[in-house]
Amino acid sequence: MIEPLRLTYQLQCPADHAFEVWTTRIGAWWPKGHSVSGTPGTVVVLETWLGGRIFERATDGAEIDWGVVTQWSPPRRLGYTWHIGRDPVQATEVELTFVDLGEGRSRLDIVQTGWERLGADGPIWREANLGGWAALVPSFRAAATIPLAD
Amino acid sequence: MSVSAPVGDPFDALGDPNRRAIVELLGRGGRSVSDLADALPISRPAVSRHLRLLKQAGLVLEEAQGTRRIYQLHDQGVAAVQDYLTAVWGDVVGRFTLLAENTTPAELP
Repeated sequence: MIEPLRLTYQLQCPADHAFEVWTTRIGAWWPKGHSVSGTPGTVVVLETWLGGRIFERATDGAEIDWGVVTQWSPPRRLGYTWHIGRDPVQATEVELTFVDLGEGRSRLDIVQTGWERLGADGPIWREANLGGWAALVPSFRAAATIPLAD
Repeated sequence: MSVSAPVGDPFDALGDPNRRAIVELLGRGGRSVSDLADALPISRPAVSRHLRLLKQAGLVLEEAQGTRRIYQLHDQGVAAVQDYLTAVWGDVVGRFTLLAENTTPAELP
């Protein structure tokens, strides 16, 4: 088991609002150009229910799945699988918790797990077992980030 | 052991097949530059250059054993990877924060 990635961010807004922006407004703040299709005008959608999809819709209407909502507890917790640009069997899991701190402040805790699944069906993982963690490293970037279109 | 703060990107460091080969050899135990050069189809100066990049990325450590310098994998190399991932998440969360902190619920559709 590879250690989860745990991150915490302080926010200068109430937790309810932060949750709302993360989910319903993802298309407005998601970094432009960070998509599989890479076409300008690509729309990012997060379906706000358990089992909902996270996907991009390219300008030609094609939809490319990035993950599925696995925890839906508004306005405090959201979980989803994340396999953008990769095979779904290699999905990592992301859990976001929005903690309200009062006085218009909140905290966002992000936990990303499931790294051991990367390359589990392919040569990367076998190579990693032979050569240590190093061979797995490029997959970390692929799973944590978004294919940045040229 | 000489440890310096990583300044390189571990993913870039591992983007080169020769550097990955070096890392895989070091995964089986510490080696000198000449050990590595003997095992690889590249020259000693080339091995040294690759090792320097791997050191800068926090993936490899250098240790003096008598007159020899032995290179080995940094146990904390995964930490370098985590630092990188943290920076990536920081970019994403940074964009999110900009919108969340500068809007009010009334402004959302």
